[in-house]
Amino acid sequence: MTRTRSLASMLLAVGAATVLFWAVLHQISSVWLDVALRPEVRQALEQALEDQKQLRRLDPAQRELYRRRFDETRTLVNRIEVLRMNRENMLQRFELALVIMFAVAATLGAVSLWMRYRRAQERERCEYLERVSSLQETARRHAHEIKGPLTAARLELERFADLARHGAPDEELASAQESMAEELDRLARFTRDFSTFGGLGKPVLRRESLGQVIEEFCATFANAWPALKLEENGGDAIVCIDRDMLRQVLVNLCTNSARAVNGDGRIGFSIVKNGPRIFLDVRDNGSGIPVSLRGRVFDPYVTTRKIGEGMGLGLSISRKVMLDHGGDLVLVDTSEKGTQFRLTFGAPDC
Amino acid sequence: MVIRAAAAIALLLLVAFSSDAQQPPRPVFNVQAGVVGATLPASVLQQQSVKKQLSSGLTTTFLVIARQRELSRVTGARIEVRYDLWDEVWIVRRVEFDGKTDRQRLTSAEALEKWWRTPVRLLATDAARVALQVDLSVLPFSAAEEEDARQWITKSGGVGTAAGGGGIVDALIGTTISAKPITSYRWNVELALR
Repeated sequence: MTRTRSLASMLLAVGAATVLFWAVLHQISSVWLDVALRPEVRQALEQALEDQKQLRRLDPAQRELYRRRFDETRTLVNRIEVLRMNRENMLQRFELALVIMFAVAATLGAVSLWMRYRRAQERERCEYLERVSSLQETARRHAHEIKGPLTAARLELERFADLARHGAPDEELASAQESMAEELDRLARFTRDFSTFGGLGKPVLRRESLGQVIEEFCATFANAWPALKLEENGGDAIVCIDRDMLRQVLVNLCTNSARAVNGDGRIGFSIVKNGPRIFLDVRDNGSGIPVSLRGRVFDPYVTTRKIGEGMGLGLSISRKVMLDHGGDLVLVDTSEKGTQFRLTFGAPDC
Repeated sequence: MVIRAAAAIALLLLVAFSSDAQQPPRPVFNVQAGVVGATLPASVLQQQSVKKQLSSGLTTTFLVIARQRELSRVTGARIEVRYDLWDEVWIVRRVEFDGKTDRQRLTSAEALEKWWRTPVRLLATDAARVALQVDLSVLPFSAAEEEDARQWITKSGGVGTAAGGGGIVDALIGTTISAKPITSYRWNVELALR
Protein backbone atom coordinates (compact mmCIF):
# COMPACT_ATOMS: atom_id res chain seq x y z
CA MET A 1 0.00 0.00 0.00
CA THR A 2 2.82 2.38 0.95
CA ARG A 3 4.67 1.39 -2.16
CA THR A 4 1.65 2.06 -4.38
CA ARG A 5 1.09 5.43 -2.73
CA SER A 6 4.73 6.37 -3.12
CA LEU A 7 4.75 5.40 -6.81
CA ALA A 8 1.48 7.22 -7.41
CA SER A 9 2.77 10.42 -5.81
CA MET A 10 5.98 10.14 -7.79
CA LEU A 11 4.07 9.74 -11.07
CA LEU A 12 1.76 12.58 -10.13
CA ALA A 13 4.71 14.88 -9.43
CA VAL A 14 6.42 14.00 -12.72
CA GLY A 15 3.12 14.35 -14.61
CA ALA A 16 2.37 17.76 -13.11
CA ALA A 17 5.88 18.96 -13.85
CA THR A 18 5.56 17.74 -17.46
CA VAL A 19 2.25 19.55 -18.02
CA LEU A 20 3.65 22.73 -16.51
CA PHE A 21 6.77 22.38 -18.58
CA TRP A 22 4.86 21.99 -21.85
CA ALA A 23 2.58 24.87 -20.93
CA VAL A 24 5.45 27.34 -20.66
CA LEU A 25 7.90 25.82 -23.10
CA HIS A 26 6.85 27.74 -26.20
CA GLN A 27 6.59 30.98 -24.29
CA ILE A 28 10.09 30.64 -22.94
CA SER A 29 11.79 29.37 -26.05
CA SER A 30 10.46 31.82 -28.61
CA VAL A 31 10.77 35.08 -26.68
CA TRP A 32 14.48 35.72 -27.03
CA LEU A 33 14.50 34.85 -30.74
CA ASP A 34 11.36 36.77 -31.61
CA VAL A 35 12.75 39.94 -30.09
CA ALA A 36 15.63 39.86 -32.56
CA LEU A 37 13.37 39.01 -35.47
CA ARG A 38 10.67 41.61 -34.96
CA PRO A 39 9.83 43.37 -38.26
CA GLU A 40 10.33 46.77 -36.63
CA VAL A 41 13.93 45.85 -35.84
CA ARG A 42 14.60 44.89 -39.41
CA GLN A 43 12.83 47.97 -40.75
CA ALA A 44 14.86 50.22 -38.50
CA LEU A 45 18.09 48.62 -39.63
CA GLU A 46 17.16 48.88 -43.29
CA GLN A 47 16.32 52.51 -42.76
CA ALA A 48 19.72 52.97 -41.16
CA LEU A 49 21.34 51.47 -44.26
CA GLU A 50 19.42 53.82 -46.47
CA ASP A 51 20.37 56.75 -44.24
CA GLN A 52 24.07 55.95 -44.52
CA LYS A 53 23.77 55.92 -48.27
CA GLN A 54 22.04 59.29 -48.22
CA LEU A 55 24.68 60.72 -45.93
CA ARG A 56 27.37 59.54 -48.32
CA ARG A 57 25.83 61.70 -51.00
CA LEU A 58 25.31 64.68 -48.72
CA ASP A 59 28.71 64.54 -47.07
CA PRO A 60 31.21 62.88 -49.40
CA ALA A 61 34.10 63.83 -47.15
CA GLN A 62 32.93 61.37 -44.51
CA ARG A 63 32.28 58.66 -47.02
CA GLU A 64 34.58 56.11 -45.36
CA LEU A 65 32.91 56.59 -41.98
CA TYR A 66 29.47 56.07 -43.47
CA ARG A 67 30.74 53.07 -45.37
CA ARG A 68 32.06 51.51 -42.16
CA ARG A 69 28.79 52.14 -40.38
CA PHE A 70 26.89 50.81 -43.35
CA ASP A 71 28.92 47.59 -43.34
CA GLU A 72 28.38 47.09 -39.61
CA THR A 73 24.64 47.51 -39.97
CA ARG A 74 24.55 45.32 -43.05
CA THR A 75 26.36 42.55 -41.18
CA LEU A 76 23.73 42.80 -38.48
CA VAL A 77 20.93 42.65 -41.03
CA ASN A 78 22.54 39.62 -42.63
CA ARG A 79 22.80 37.85 -39.28
CA ILE A 80 19.18 38.54 -38.49
CA GLU A 81 18.19 37.29 -41.91
CA VAL A 82 20.15 34.07 -41.35
CA LEU A 83 18.41 33.62 -38.00
CA ARG A 84 15.03 34.30 -39.54
CA MET A 85 15.60 31.56 -42.09
CA ASN A 86 16.58 29.14 -39.33
CA ARG A 87 13.97 30.23 -36.83
CA GLU A 88 11.90 27.05 -36.79
CA ASN A 89 14.90 24.76 -36.63
CA MET A 90 16.45 26.78 -33.85
CA LEU A 91 13.26 26.79 -31.83
CA GLN A 92 12.89 23.06 -32.27
CA ARG A 93 16.46 22.51 -31.16
CA PHE A 94 16.10 24.88 -28.23
CA GLU A 95 12.96 23.10 -27.14
CA LEU A 96 14.74 19.80 -27.56
CA ALA A 97 17.50 21.08 -25.30
CA LEU A 98 14.94 22.08 -22.69
CA VAL A 99 13.17 18.74 -23.01
CA ILE A 100 16.45 16.89 -22.52
CA MET A 101 17.27 18.98 -19.46
CA PHE A 102 13.80 18.40 -18.09
CA ALA A 103 14.01 14.67 -18.78
CA VAL A 104 17.37 14.47 -17.02
CA ALA A 105 16.03 16.43 -14.05
CA ALA A 106 12.86 14.32 -13.92
CA THR A 107 14.88 11.12 -14.11
CA LEU A 108 17.21 12.23 -11.35
CA GLY A 109 14.22 13.26 -9.25
CA ALA A 110 12.49 9.94 -9.81
CA VAL A 111 15.66 8.01 -8.99
CA SER A 112 16.14 10.09 -5.86
CA LEU A 113 12.53 9.50 -4.77
CA TRP A 114 12.88 5.82 -5.46
CA MET A 115 16.07 5.58 -3.44
CA ARG A 116 14.48 7.49 -0.57
CA TYR A 117 11.55 5.12 -0.70
CA ARG A 118 13.85 2.11 -0.65
CA ARG A 119 15.87 3.52 2.25
CA ALA A 120 12.67 4.22 4.22
CA GLN A 121 11.51 0.69 3.50
CA GLU A 122 14.82 -0.73 4.69
CA ARG A 123 14.77 1.46 7.83
CA GLU A 124 11.22 0.36 8.63
CA ARG A 125 12.26 -3.25 8.21
CA CYS A 126 15.24 -2.83 10.56
CA GLU A 127 13.14 -1.03 13.15
CA TYR A 128 10.53 -3.75 13.04
CA LEU A 129 13.15 -6.46 13.49
CA GLU A 130 14.67 -4.48 16.34
CA ARG A 131 11.28 -4.15 18.05
CA VAL A 132 10.56 -7.85 17.65
CA SER A 133 14.02 -8.72 18.93
CA SER A 134 13.49 -6.45 21.94
CA LEU A 135 10.14 -8.06 22.68
CA GLN A 136 11.70 -11.52 22.41
CA GLU A 137 14.35 -10.49 24.90
CA THR A 138 11.70 -9.10 27.26
CA ALA A 139 9.62 -12.28 26.99
CA ARG A 140 12.71 -14.37 27.76
CA ARG A 141 13.44 -12.26 30.84
CA HIS A 142 9.84 -12.41 32.03
CA ALA A 143 9.75 -16.18 31.60
CA HIS A 144 12.99 -16.58 33.49
CA GLU A 145 12.03 -14.22 36.32
CA ILE A 146 8.75 -16.11 36.86
CA LYS A 147 9.98 -19.61 36.13
CA GLY A 148 12.90 -19.50 38.61
CA PRO A 149 10.92 -18.79 41.82
CA LEU A 150 7.97 -20.92 40.66
CA THR A 151 10.13 -23.99 40.12
CA ALA A 152 11.93 -23.44 43.40
CA ALA A 153 8.64 -22.93 45.27
CA ARG A 154 7.18 -26.08 43.71
CA LEU A 155 10.23 -28.14 44.78
CA GLU A 156 10.03 -26.69 48.30
CA LEU A 157 6.31 -27.51 48.41
CA GLU A 158 7.01 -31.12 47.41
CA ARG A 159 9.74 -31.30 50.06
CA PHE A 160 7.38 -29.82 52.61
CA ALA A 161 4.67 -32.42 51.77
CA ASP A 162 7.24 -35.20 51.89
CA LEU A 163 8.53 -34.04 55.27
CA ALA A 164 4.97 -33.76 56.59
CA ARG A 165 4.09 -37.27 55.38
CA HIS A 166 7.13 -38.74 57.14
CA GLY A 167 6.52 -36.80 60.35
CA ALA A 168 9.63 -34.66 60.11
CA PRO A 169 10.51 -32.34 62.98
CA ASP A 170 8.94 -28.87 63.11
CA GLU A 171 12.30 -27.15 62.43
CA GLU A 172 12.64 -28.89 59.07
CA LEU A 173 9.04 -28.08 58.19
CA ALA A 174 9.60 -24.47 59.15
CA SER A 175 12.78 -24.34 57.02
CA ALA A 176 10.90 -25.64 53.97
CA GLN A 177 8.10 -23.20 54.59
CA GLU A 178 10.59 -20.34 54.83
CA SER A 179 12.21 -21.32 51.54
CA MET A 180 8.81 -21.32 49.86
CA ALA A 181 8.08 -17.90 51.29
CA GLU A 182 11.43 -16.58 49.96
CA GLU A 183 10.64 -17.72 46.43
CA LEU A 184 7.18 -16.21 46.63
CA ASP A 185 8.80 -12.95 47.86
CA ARG A 186 10.99 -12.98 44.78
CA LEU A 187 7.88 -13.22 42.65
CA ALA A 188 6.30 -10.40 44.63
CA ARG A 189 9.39 -8.19 44.10
CA PHE A 190 9.25 -8.92 40.40
CA THR A 191 5.62 -7.84 40.12
CA ARG A 192 6.36 -4.80 42.28
CA ASP A 193 8.90 -3.58 39.72
CA PHE A 194 6.20 -3.67 37.09
CA SER A 195 3.72 -2.04 39.39
CA THR A 196 6.18 0.79 39.94
CA PHE A 197 6.74 1.20 36.21
CA GLY A 198 3.05 0.99 35.34
CA GLY A 199 1.73 2.95 38.27
CA LEU A 200 4.14 5.88 38.57
CA GLY A 201 2.22 8.62 40.26
CA LYS A 202 2.45 12.35 39.61
CA PRO A 203 5.11 14.08 41.72
CA VAL A 204 3.94 16.34 44.52
CA LEU A 205 6.29 19.28 44.03
CA ARG A 206 7.68 21.34 46.84
CA ARG A 207 10.42 23.93 46.96
CA GLU A 208 13.44 22.18 48.41
CA SER A 209 17.12 22.81 48.85
CA LEU A 210 18.77 20.49 46.38
CA GLY A 211 22.04 20.62 48.30
CA GLN A 212 20.29 19.51 51.45
CA VAL A 213 18.50 16.66 49.66
CA ILE A 214 21.83 15.41 48.26
CA GLU A 215 23.49 15.69 51.67
CA GLU A 216 20.76 13.63 53.29
CA PHE A 217 20.84 11.10 50.47
CA CYS A 218 24.61 10.62 50.83
CA ALA A 219 24.26 10.22 54.60
CA THR A 220 21.33 7.82 54.42
CA PHE A 221 22.70 5.60 51.64
CA ALA A 222 26.38 5.80 52.56
CA ASN A 223 26.55 2.06 53.17
CA ALA A 224 23.86 0.88 50.77
CA TRP A 225 26.34 -0.05 48.01
CA PRO A 226 29.53 -1.42 49.58
CA ALA A 227 31.57 -0.94 46.40
CA LEU A 228 30.51 2.66 45.95
CA LYS A 229 31.52 5.82 47.79
CA LEU A 230 29.02 8.68 47.55
CA GLU A 231 30.62 12.10 47.15
CA GLU A 232 28.82 15.39 47.52
CA ASN A 233 30.70 18.00 45.47
CA GLY A 234 28.98 21.03 46.93
CA GLY A 235 26.68 23.70 45.59
CA ASP A 236 23.08 24.41 46.33
CA ALA A 237 19.94 25.58 44.61
CA ILE A 238 16.25 25.75 45.30
CA VAL A 239 14.27 23.40 43.11
CA CYS A 240 10.70 22.14 42.90
CA ILE A 241 10.83 18.42 43.50
CA ASP A 242 9.07 15.45 45.01
CA ARG A 243 11.76 14.46 47.47
CA ASP A 244 10.84 10.74 47.55
CA MET A 245 10.67 10.42 43.80
CA LEU A 246 14.00 12.20 43.30
CA ARG A 247 15.51 9.87 45.87
CA GLN A 248 14.22 6.90 43.82
CA VAL A 249 15.95 8.34 40.74
CA LEU A 250 19.23 8.68 42.62
CA VAL A 251 18.91 5.15 43.99
CA ASN A 252 18.44 3.80 40.45
CA LEU A 253 21.52 5.69 39.17
CA CYS A 254 23.61 4.51 42.12
CA THR A 255 22.46 0.91 41.66
CA ASN A 256 23.61 1.00 38.05
CA SER A 257 26.91 2.64 39.00
CA ALA A 258 27.54 0.08 41.72
CA ARG A 259 27.38 -2.64 39.09
CA ALA A 260 29.66 -0.71 36.71
CA VAL A 261 32.50 0.07 39.13
CA ASN A 262 35.28 -2.28 39.95
CA GLY A 263 36.87 -1.99 43.40
CA ASP A 264 37.39 1.70 44.21
CA GLY A 265 34.00 2.96 43.04
CA ARG A 266 33.00 6.58 43.43
CA ILE A 267 29.93 8.49 42.43
CA GLY A 268 29.83 12.28 42.67
CA PHE A 269 26.92 14.71 42.83
CA SER A 270 27.49 18.25 41.52
CA ILE A 271 24.92 21.01 41.46
CA VAL A 272 25.38 23.29 38.43
CA LYS A 273 23.65 26.60 37.85
CA ASN A 274 23.41 28.04 34.36
CA GLY A 275 21.36 31.22 34.52
CA PRO A 276 17.89 30.24 35.65
CA ARG A 277 18.52 26.60 34.86
CA ILE A 278 19.67 24.11 37.46
CA PHE A 279 21.34 20.79 36.84
CA LEU A 280 22.48 17.93 38.99
CA ASP A 281 25.39 16.06 37.42
CA VAL A 282 25.88 12.49 38.59
CA ARG A 283 29.21 11.00 37.56
CA ASP A 284 30.75 7.63 38.36
CA ASN A 285 34.11 6.09 37.56
CA GLY A 286 32.67 2.83 36.24
CA SER A 287 33.33 0.99 33.00
CA GLY A 288 30.75 2.91 30.97
CA ILE A 289 27.77 1.90 28.90
CA PRO A 290 28.35 -0.37 25.87
CA VAL A 291 28.22 1.48 22.55
CA SER A 292 25.38 -0.71 21.30
CA LEU A 293 23.10 0.46 24.15
CA ARG A 294 23.96 4.18 24.30
CA GLY A 295 21.24 5.31 21.93
CA ARG A 296 18.43 3.51 23.73
CA VAL A 297 19.61 3.48 27.29
CA PHE A 298 16.32 5.03 28.48
CA ASP A 299 14.15 2.48 26.65
CA PRO A 300 12.39 -0.05 28.92
CA TYR A 301 13.93 -3.52 29.14
CA VAL A 302 17.34 -2.33 27.94
CA THR A 303 19.97 -3.68 30.31
CA THR A 304 23.47 -5.11 30.47
CA ARG A 305 22.47 -7.49 33.22
CA LYS A 306 22.07 -11.20 32.74
CA ILE A 307 18.62 -12.72 32.53
CA GLY A 308 17.26 -13.12 36.03
CA GLU A 309 19.26 -10.15 37.41
CA GLY A 310 16.99 -7.29 36.47
CA MET A 311 14.45 -6.08 33.96
CA GLY A 312 16.15 -2.88 32.71
CA LEU A 313 13.41 -0.56 33.91
CA GLY A 314 15.42 1.68 36.27
CA LEU A 315 16.59 4.39 33.84
CA SER A 316 13.28 4.34 32.03
CA ILE A 317 11.44 4.99 35.31
CA SER A 318 13.98 7.63 36.34
CA ARG A 319 13.62 9.62 33.11
CA LYS A 320 9.82 9.44 33.37
CA VAL A 321 10.07 10.86 36.91
CA MET A 322 12.27 13.75 35.81
CA LEU A 323 10.05 14.53 32.83
CA ASP A 324 7.10 14.63 35.24
CA HIS A 325 9.10 17.16 37.23
CA GLY A 326 9.26 19.41 34.16
CA GLY A 327 12.92 18.54 33.69
CA ASP A 328 14.78 15.67 32.07
CA LEU A 329 17.42 13.04 32.54
CA VAL A 330 20.09 12.81 29.87
CA LEU A 331 23.19 10.78 29.31
CA VAL A 332 26.00 13.37 28.98
CA ASP A 333 29.03 11.20 28.60
CA THR A 334 30.08 7.59 28.89
CA SER A 335 33.39 5.88 28.32
CA GLU A 336 35.62 3.30 29.95
CA LYS A 337 36.58 6.05 32.43
CA GLY A 338 33.07 6.58 33.70
CA THR A 339 29.56 7.74 32.98
CA GLN A 340 27.86 11.06 33.58
CA PHE A 341 24.11 11.64 33.73
CA ARG A 342 22.54 15.06 34.09
CA LEU A 343 19.28 15.77 35.83
CA THR A 344 17.62 19.00 34.76
CA PHE A 345 14.94 20.66 36.82
CA GLY A 346 11.97 22.77 35.91
CA ALA A 347 11.39 26.34 37.09
CA PRO A 348 11.43 26.64 40.93
CA ASP A 349 7.99 28.29 41.09
CA CYS A 350 5.76 25.52 42.35
CA MET B 1 -22.55 9.67 -66.67
CA VAL B 2 -21.35 11.32 -69.86
CA ILE B 3 -20.74 14.55 -67.98
CA ARG B 4 -18.65 12.77 -65.36
CA ALA B 5 -16.53 11.04 -68.03
CA ALA B 6 -15.99 14.34 -69.85
CA ALA B 7 -14.97 16.00 -66.60
CA ALA B 8 -12.50 13.23 -65.87
CA ILE B 9 -10.92 13.52 -69.32
CA ALA B 10 -10.71 17.29 -68.96
CA LEU B 11 -9.02 16.89 -65.59
CA LEU B 12 -6.50 14.41 -67.02
CA LEU B 13 -5.70 16.80 -69.88
CA LEU B 14 -5.27 19.64 -67.43
CA VAL B 15 -2.90 17.63 -65.28
CA ALA B 16 -0.93 16.52 -68.31
CA PHE B 17 -0.72 20.09 -69.61
CA SER B 18 0.28 21.56 -66.31
CA SER B 19 2.92 18.90 -65.63
CA ASP B 20 4.31 19.61 -69.07
CA ALA B 21 4.37 23.32 -68.26
CA GLN B 22 6.29 22.70 -65.00
CA GLN B 23 9.10 20.76 -66.59
CA PRO B 24 12.31 21.87 -64.85
CA PRO B 25 14.64 24.02 -66.89
CA ARG B 26 17.56 22.12 -68.34
CA PRO B 27 21.14 23.29 -68.67
CA VAL B 28 22.98 23.12 -71.94
CA PHE B 29 25.98 20.85 -71.66
CA ASN B 30 29.01 21.23 -73.86
CA VAL B 31 32.32 19.47 -74.20
CA GLN B 32 35.54 21.18 -75.09
CA ALA B 33 38.96 19.52 -75.05
CA GLY B 34 37.76 16.81 -72.68
CA VAL B 35 36.19 19.29 -70.28
CA VAL B 36 32.46 19.12 -69.63
CA GLY B 37 30.78 22.46 -69.06
CA ALA B 38 27.20 23.46 -68.42
CA THR B 39 25.31 26.61 -69.17
CA LEU B 40 22.80 26.86 -66.38
CA PRO B 41 19.31 27.94 -67.36
CA ALA B 42 18.58 31.63 -66.77
CA SER B 43 15.13 30.71 -65.49
CA VAL B 44 16.82 29.62 -62.26
CA LEU B 45 17.59 33.28 -61.55
CA GLN B 46 14.08 34.29 -62.46
CA GLN B 47 12.44 31.94 -59.98
CA GLN B 48 10.62 34.06 -57.41
CA SER B 49 12.31 32.72 -54.27
CA VAL B 50 15.77 32.93 -55.88
CA LYS B 51 15.16 36.41 -57.20
CA LYS B 52 14.12 37.62 -53.78
CA GLN B 53 17.17 36.05 -52.17
CA LEU B 54 19.55 37.57 -54.72
CA SER B 55 18.58 41.08 -53.65
CA SER B 56 18.75 40.34 -49.89
CA GLY B 57 22.37 41.37 -49.46
CA LEU B 58 23.37 37.86 -48.45
CA THR B 59 25.55 35.73 -50.67
CA THR B 60 23.31 33.39 -52.65
CA THR B 61 25.34 30.30 -53.40
CA PHE B 62 24.69 27.99 -56.34
CA LEU B 63 26.27 24.66 -55.70
CA VAL B 64 26.70 22.42 -58.74
CA ILE B 65 27.59 18.79 -58.02
CA ALA B 66 28.35 16.45 -60.92
CA ARG B 67 28.45 12.71 -60.32
CA GLN B 68 30.02 10.52 -62.97
CA ARG B 69 27.93 7.40 -62.52
CA GLU B 70 30.29 4.73 -63.92
CA LEU B 71 33.23 5.88 -61.82
CA SER B 72 31.40 7.08 -58.70
CA ARG B 73 33.40 10.26 -59.19
CA VAL B 74 32.14 13.53 -57.79
CA THR B 75 33.23 16.97 -58.91
CA GLY B 76 31.54 20.33 -58.92
CA ALA B 77 31.54 24.08 -59.03
CA ARG B 78 30.27 26.94 -56.95
CA ILE B 79 28.75 30.22 -58.01
CA GLU B 80 28.26 33.01 -55.49
CA VAL B 81 26.12 36.07 -56.14
CA ARG B 82 25.81 38.96 -53.72
CA TYR B 83 24.11 42.27 -54.27
CA ASP B 84 26.22 45.00 -52.72
CA LEU B 85 23.74 47.43 -51.24
CA TRP B 86 26.29 50.22 -50.85
CA ASP B 87 27.57 50.37 -54.41
CA GLU B 88 24.42 48.77 -55.84
CA VAL B 89 26.38 46.30 -57.91
CA TRP B 90 26.38 42.53 -58.17
CA ILE B 91 29.50 40.90 -56.83
CA VAL B 92 29.82 37.47 -58.34
CA ARG B 93 32.34 34.69 -58.08
CA ARG B 94 32.61 31.38 -59.83
CA VAL B 95 34.88 28.57 -58.65
CA GLU B 96 35.14 25.71 -61.10
CA PHE B 97 36.09 22.06 -60.61
CA ASP B 98 39.81 22.72 -60.98
CA GLY B 99 39.87 25.71 -58.66
CA LYS B 100 39.80 28.29 -61.41
CA THR B 101 38.09 31.35 -60.06
CA ASP B 102 36.33 34.17 -61.80
CA ARG B 103 35.29 37.36 -59.92
CA GLN B 104 33.23 40.14 -61.35
CA ARG B 105 31.42 43.31 -60.31
CA LEU B 106 28.32 43.60 -62.43
CA THR B 107 26.40 46.81 -62.58
CA SER B 108 23.02 45.54 -63.74
CA ALA B 109 20.69 42.57 -63.68
CA GLU B 110 21.18 42.21 -67.42
CA ALA B 111 24.92 41.97 -66.95
CA LEU B 112 24.35 39.36 -64.29
CA GLU B 113 22.16 37.30 -66.60
CA LYS B 114 24.76 37.57 -69.36
CA TRP B 115 27.52 36.44 -67.00
CA TRP B 116 25.29 33.62 -65.78
CA ARG B 117 25.11 32.24 -69.29
CA THR B 118 28.86 31.62 -69.39
CA PRO B 119 29.33 27.84 -69.18
CA VAL B 120 30.59 26.57 -65.84
CA ARG B 121 33.26 23.88 -66.15
CA LEU B 122 32.35 20.77 -64.18
CA LEU B 123 34.85 18.02 -64.88
CA ALA B 124 37.60 16.81 -67.16
CA THR B 125 37.60 13.31 -68.58
CA ASP B 126 39.24 11.29 -71.31
CA ALA B 127 36.35 8.82 -71.63
CA ALA B 128 34.44 8.57 -74.89
CA ARG B 129 31.09 8.83 -73.11
CA VAL B 130 30.09 10.04 -69.70
CA ALA B 131 26.84 9.57 -67.82
CA LEU B 132 26.35 12.42 -65.41
CA GLN B 133 23.96 13.21 -62.63
CA VAL B 134 24.11 16.95 -62.04
CA ASP B 135 22.58 18.53 -58.93
CA LEU B 136 22.10 22.26 -58.48
CA SER B 137 21.30 23.54 -55.00
CA VAL B 138 20.54 27.17 -54.34
CA LEU B 139 21.66 28.09 -50.83
CA PRO B 140 20.45 31.33 -49.26
CA PHE B 141 23.77 32.32 -47.71
CA SER B 142 27.43 31.43 -47.76
CA ALA B 143 29.37 29.30 -45.28
CA ALA B 144 31.14 32.43 -43.97
CA GLU B 145 27.83 34.17 -43.28
CA GLU B 146 26.53 31.03 -41.59
CA GLU B 147 29.57 30.88 -39.33
CA ASP B 148 29.31 34.60 -38.55
CA ALA B 149 25.64 34.25 -37.50
CA ARG B 150 26.48 31.19 -35.42
CA GLN B 151 29.22 33.02 -33.57
CA TRP B 152 26.93 35.99 -33.05
CA ILE B 153 24.04 33.96 -31.62
CA THR B 154 26.43 32.08 -29.37
CA LYS B 155 28.12 35.18 -28.01
CA SER B 156 25.33 37.70 -27.85
CA GLY B 157 22.12 36.08 -28.90
CA GLY B 158 20.92 35.44 -25.36
CA VAL B 159 21.59 31.74 -25.40
CA GLY B 160 24.09 32.10 -22.59
CA THR B 161 27.69 32.97 -22.29
CA ALA B 162 28.39 31.60 -18.85
CA ALA B 163 30.35 28.43 -18.37
CA GLY B 164 28.49 25.23 -17.69
CA GLY B 165 25.11 24.36 -19.19
CA GLY B 166 25.29 27.36 -21.56
CA GLY B 167 28.00 25.61 -23.56
CA ILE B 168 25.80 22.62 -24.27
CA VAL B 169 22.88 24.81 -25.28
CA ASP B 170 25.19 26.91 -27.48
CA ALA B 171 26.34 23.76 -29.21
CA LEU B 172 22.77 22.59 -29.71
CA ILE B 173 21.60 25.93 -31.07
CA GLY B 174 24.74 26.68 -33.04
CA THR B 175 24.64 23.47 -35.01
CA THR B 176 21.05 24.21 -35.98
CA ILE B 177 22.06 27.16 -38.14
CA SER B 178 22.65 25.85 -41.62
CA ALA B 179 21.95 26.90 -45.14
CA LYS B 180 19.01 24.82 -46.34
CA PRO B 181 18.53 24.97 -50.11
CA ILE B 182 15.86 27.38 -51.33
CA THR B 183 15.41 25.19 -54.34
CA SER B 184 17.26 22.38 -56.06
CA TYR B 185 17.37 20.66 -59.42
CA ARG B 186 18.64 17.35 -60.69
CA TRP B 187 19.50 16.50 -64.22
CA ASN B 188 20.73 13.27 -65.76
CA VAL B 189 22.62 13.42 -68.99
CA GLU B 190 24.76 11.19 -71.18
CA LEU B 191 27.40 12.88 -73.26
CA ALA B 192 29.52 11.63 -76.13
CA LEU B 193 32.95 13.24 -75.95
CA ARG B 194 34.33 11.87 -79.21
